[in-house]
Amino acid sequence: MHETDVHDLSDDADYAASVQQGLARMNRSDSSKQSSSGEQEGAEIVFLKDNVAIHPTQYASERISGRLKLIKQGGSLFMTWIPYKGQSSSARLTEKDKSLYTIRAVPFSDVGSIRRHTPTLGWQYVIVVLSSGLAFPPLYFYNGGVREFLATIKQHAYLVRSAEDANVFLVNDFQDPLQRTLSSLELPRAVSVTNSPSSAGAPSESPSSWTDGKTFDTNSALAQQNASQRQKHNDPARDLSIQVLEKFSLVTRFARETTSQLFREAQGDGFILNDRRKHDEKTHDYPRIADSNDVQKLPEDVPVPADPLEFDKLSLVWGKPRQPPLGTEEWSAFLDSEGRVTDSEAVRKRIFYGGVEQDLRKEVWRFLLGYHSYDSTYAEREYLVSVKKSEYEMIKNQWKSISKEQAKRFTKFRERKGLIEKDVVRTDRSISFYDEDDSPNIKCLRDILLTYSFYNFDLGYCQGMSDLLSPILYVMGDESESFWCFVALMERLGPNFNRDQNGMHSQLFALSKLVELLDSPLHNYFKQKDCLNYFFCFRWVLIQFKRQGV
Amino acid sequence: MSYAYLFKYIIIGDTGVGKSCLLLQFTDKRFQPVHDLTIGVEFGARMITIDNKPIKLQIWDTAGQESFRSITRSYYRGAAGALLVYDITRRETFNHLASWLEDARQHANANMTIMLIGNKCDLAHRRAVSTEEGEQFAKENGLIFMEASAKTAQNVEEAFIRTASTIYKKIQDGVFDVSNESYGIKVGYGGIPGPSGGRDGAASQGGGCCT
Repeated sequence: MHETDVHDLSDDADYAASVQQGLARMNRSDSSKQSSSGEQEGAEIVFLKDNVAIHPTQYASERISGRLKLIKQGGSLFMTWIPYKGQSSSARLTEKDKSLYTIRAVPFSDVGSIRRHTPTLGWQYVIVVLSSGLAFPPLYFYNGGVREFLATIKQHAYLVRSAEDANVFLVNDFQDPLQRTLSSLELPRAVSVTNSPSSAGAPSESPSSWTDGKTFDTNSALAQQNASQRQKHNDPARDLSIQVLEKFSLVTRFARETTSQLFREAQGDGFILNDRRKHDEKTHDYPRIADSNDVQKLPEDVPVPADPLEFDKLSLVWGKPRQPPLGTEEWSAFLDSEGRVTDSEAVRKRIFYGGVEQDLRKEVWRFLLGYHSYDSTYAEREYLVSVKKSEYEMIKNQWKSISKEQAKRFTKFRERKGLIEKDVVRTDRSISFYDEDDSPNIKCLRDILLTYSFYNFDLGYCQGMSDLLSPILYVMGDESESFWCFVALMERLGPNFNRDQNGMHSQLFALSKLVELLDSPLHNYFKQKDCLNYFFCFRWVLIQFKRQGV
Repeated sequence: MSYAYLFKYIIIGDTGVGKSCLLLQFTDKRFQPVHDLTIGVEFGARMITIDNKPIKLQIWDTAGQESFRSITRSYYRGAAGALLVYDITRRETFNHLASWLEDARQHANANMTIMLIGNKCDLAHRRAVSTEEGEQFAKENGLIFMEASAKTAQNVEEAFIRTASTIYKKIQDGVFDVSNESYGIKVGYGGIPGPSGGRDGAASQGGGCCT
């Protein structure tokens, strides 16, 4: 993994690239059939800021720059953020990835609050939270302009600073009655109607025009699909990402058919799991969920290629029996004479398809979690383990040496310790490893978590961590080793536990966008049930489906 | 299952005060001394009868840790009732009530019915908050109050039902526009709408929501 290598330079490169892209894109939209402003009757851009970026991951190479606009139309204010096309700092981000983050004409009547962050180091950013509770990922203002952004909103919408927190700005929640009615109707076929005033007969070319997203939040998935289908014919670059999306929607359909089949069979003759290929073109009903009419009408709108061959290819992958877990012998074949893993990609792939034998986990997990690097030798690892052991003891001593008297004057420590102690006795107690009340393993969980909260005092302890640590301790056995494996894991998952929940928000947001694009019936169902904030997935994501296992 | 009304409840309070145990006792009539801590939100539901009408309680059980507050806050939206729980053996959980209440007042609808519960009243020998203090706090803040024990089931049923009765009475008194779901109330199929109107058949699209 070399992502971090590009850290230093990429900011500048990003910037340069995005400036160029910005110019290029402007030219392009000028030369397109209609300029974006020409398409809007009575729409006025009241704020425009280039180089406003989203950071989907911690890696600088995966940042997405774009243009933020506030648009006023018919007395309402809308916000759009469109990523630059073809920004080149990283090949890992496809256009599709980027378009997932696109913010298409969000009316301010849907916005609940805006939080401003002004870190002492780095860029200012804002988090826009919708009244539904859903938050967009942080928008980083590379060229400043947060103040201006807020001031502009204030001119056109009702914005007040929260009395509780000077960095939180509350946005009005008057609901436009017409808009509410429209969205509550949820007419899947109404897209063209909603779209018609501006885009009838003039399919928009680039995502920078906000017409294809003008359907407010209703039906925007369909709008995007429609737009995609239109674009398919004239933009070869888009073909690829559409194909990927179509593949995905195939998976969705596949999952849905399997589910409905299971439900049918459960009612009838019982389960026949392997008989997946019977996929005649019946309408895919939605067991349990599809009890409302508009939901049932929708599936036809999912763009699924009717090519049976393609479907078969997919079922081949899905139907493959799981490989046996990786064993010792096979594992040693992956190591060179000095103990380096020569092809880490192959190892991970192998494990993905089959898992690891229980006895081998202790060794392999250290690599998977990121504690040992794949290109380290036996000798290097042995040395590391002993160094890390004393380092662990040293950090642990920092809290061990706090006397009772001292603790009395150290509220933060007492609170943290109390919280951890309350939680370790509520973690995986049904497993015999942790089931005794005075189990040394529970104490070990506590010590590691408390030590971690000193190792990373800013992050501290947050609920969910004990769930992640518990299987590590179970497998590793050793306290110091478990600690360092946990540290490595938290390098990756830390943002999920941040106080502003920014890591969680951006993942839930991505999830909501994926469902919206790939399974619009499900999206509409969630919308109808008012759970578009996806908080019901919170635990799944936070502890990586850990409680979902058997 | 058909109901006349569905009320959405939310259970809030510090971590470890017994929120999930109260819910489990109410929905399953059992006490589980050892269970996993709540992350995010979990759900429970039960039918009760008030004034001979079937009422479904849909209960959102939230995580207590401070760092989840930004998430918890969004749950207040559309809740008709809240159970605000503290642990009578841990003074600090009582001291934090004001901040919970402030959160609730700020993020919930003004007519939300709040029931204050002093949990773990079976542990009288370890009591750190007197009943009078609980009563006093409730009185000052316009809350209903009860001490309860999720372990012995004492007052658990009562706490949930009294909250529902209060909400029901508010409907009868026309406090809510029940057609507006942001109050946390839905009229069901078997519903006899309150005097304030309510909705007819079309109203119950959300009929069979999560159980």
